Amino acid sequence: MMLRRAISGSIYVLSGAIGFLAFLYPFFTPLQGQSSMVTGHSQDAPIVTVALVALSLIALLIELQGQAISAKTVAMLGVLVAITSVLRFIEVVIPAPGGFSPVFAPVILVGYVFGGRFGFLMGTFTLLASALVTGGVGPWLPYQMYAAGWVGMSAGWLGWLVRRGPKRHGDAGRTMVRGLEVLLLCVLGFIWGLLFGAIMNIFFWPLATGPADQTWSAGTGLVETLSRYGVFYLATSLGWDLVRAVGNAALILLLGAPVVRALMRFRQRFQFEAIPDA
Amino acid sequence: MLDARTWLAWALTVLVAASLARNPLYGLLLLFITWVVYALCSSQQSRSAAFSPVRLALWMILFAIIFNGLTVHLGDTVLFRLPAWLPLLGGTITLEALIYGVTNGLALAAILSGFATINRVIPLRDLVQVTPRAFHEAGVVLSIALTFIPQTTRSLTRIREAQAVRGHRLRGLRDWLPIVVPLLVNGLERSMGLAEAMVARGYGATADQAHPRRLQALLSLGLLMLLGGWGSRLFFPTWRWPASLLMLGGAALVIIAAWLTGRTVQRTSYRPHRWTVWDGLALAGCALTLAVVVLPLPGLERASLGYSPYPRATLPAFDIWIGLGLLGLLAPAASLFGEPSYDRDHASDVHVS
Repeated sequence: MMLRRAISGSIYVLSGAIGFLAFLYPFFTPLQGQSSMVTGHSQDAPIVTVALVALSLIALLIELQGQAISAKTVAMLGVLVAITSVLRFIEVVIPAPGGFSPVFAPVILVGYVFGGRFGFLMGTFTLLASALVTGGVGPWLPYQMYAAGWVGMSAGWLGWLVRRGPKRHGDAGRTMVRGLEVLLLCVLGFIWGLLFGAIMNIFFWPLATGPADQTWSAGTGLVETLSRYGVFYLATSLGWDLVRAVGNAALILLLGAPVVRALMRFRQRFQFEAIPDA
Repeated sequence: MLDARTWLAWALTVLVAASLARNPLYGLLLLFITWVVYALCSSQQSRSAAFSPVRLALWMILFAIIFNGLTVHLGDTVLFRLPAWLPLLGGTITLEALIYGVTNGLALAAILSGFATINRVIPLRDLVQVTPRAFHEAGVVLSIALTFIPQTTRSLTRIREAQAVRGHRLRGLRDWLPIVVPLLVNGLERSMGLAEAMVARGYGATADQAHPRRLQALLSLGLLMLLGGWGSRLFFPTWRWPASLLMLGGAALVIIAAWLTGRTVQRTSYRPHRWTVWDGLALAGCALTLAVVVLPLPGLERASLGYSPYPRATLPAFDIWIGLGLLGLLAPAASLFGEPSYDRDHASDVHVS
């Protein structure tokens, strides 16, 4: 059992590290300095990173669904993904200002209540299902699925940390939501509102053209690359992503407590299992 | 009607061709091809419901021209100047920067039009059916989600009407609370019923067990090789070939693990799609296009694939053989000759009500 857990943990860590390196490769390539090798590498790197992200997503999904998913989990996940996809469908029909999207708040709240694994699957499948119904299938989809999976997984970790924190009298089996929890979720929603945009930008930034102080080129050094990306992000995306971040925080602030309460009630019902005598 | 996998191969070919042929003339040709395929292969209903790729492409090109024209101040042909005190925008606006914007916009528009086309022509059920067997549970979750979307939409309408009868009005974010919570509770109650029905029908009775350790180890090793190879390529450029081989080995292990997982799943398909001669023809067209943009074939002027308007704009070169090779992407439209008109008009109906 210990060995199985260790191998499973290594799959999570390795796929996370591959995703991290694949997303952030523009910041690492300059480390070697200028050479013809770097130029050759920079040309095929975008295609290689798409393949890397897809492969690590495949490995992670095989591992996640290999841990004996029960019928209850499958049914609940399907229905929650459907509800969130409807929200994205509404967003497409009635465009919201800036980068506001009602998709991230449910992913965060579900991940917070049901844990990191469920949160990752919720984020991944929500982006996949909503892309299918809104016509959003494209080369960007594996990146979006991966990043949304991380949103749900980090919310699960936050929930785990909060549950391990100092207990109060009567906390066992509680469905009450404390103000501090909502505040933490708001902060997480705000951070992911900005981070999701910053991560997704890196996917196409090496291919973008523009002023020299905003575009990527191999061999310019880590600090210079970070500075160029910073200028590019400020000029093109910060305003857009701020609307998403504030929208996430506002949605969680207004709807978070009752939604988490409802999800906690159902978590208790879904975790109930009758084990017959041997 | 073509197989979903054929359409996916076609879209990927458009992606590769548009990424490699950075010449505005080839970009224009690719965009025209995707529009023709979209107009011929998508049904009348999906065309009227969808956001037109023509409009999408025009917006994309316009945005690229404005962005590049205003932010890049290179080129000899100065059209006018913006005051230098304007941050980012101040400086010369040149014809060359506008032309470069057109080139980028055409490449992006061709890629987006290609994917917009497959989003309209592949029915949802076909897309779900191409889910590999290794992702059986993922496919079930996706099927449930796609089946429940219309029900959830109807549920949302019912709850809104019920709340409106009680005098509830939607004025701000807070007013969504009496709608979102009943929608969520309603959906979760239905998922309980669905789970019980699935268990009653034997879901998980045989497959409800964790993967064997060997499979997990194979995945872990594959990922380790991928990470090692990618890290070596990034940090030690002289190890390029050993690192690439390591990555190929890692990719092969992950794919083998997926194949082994899929072998344990038995799946039947109601009315399976048959591979037709039209699928073969469409794939042959894709292969032709890939050959002219990727392979160093004799007689092709490969230098014409790239174009830079700087420092002074010139007419881009055009190789007739490369142009003809790109026309291979029109092959999916030929499948229309092989199906009755009724099927064509109902092929890609997607009902989300």
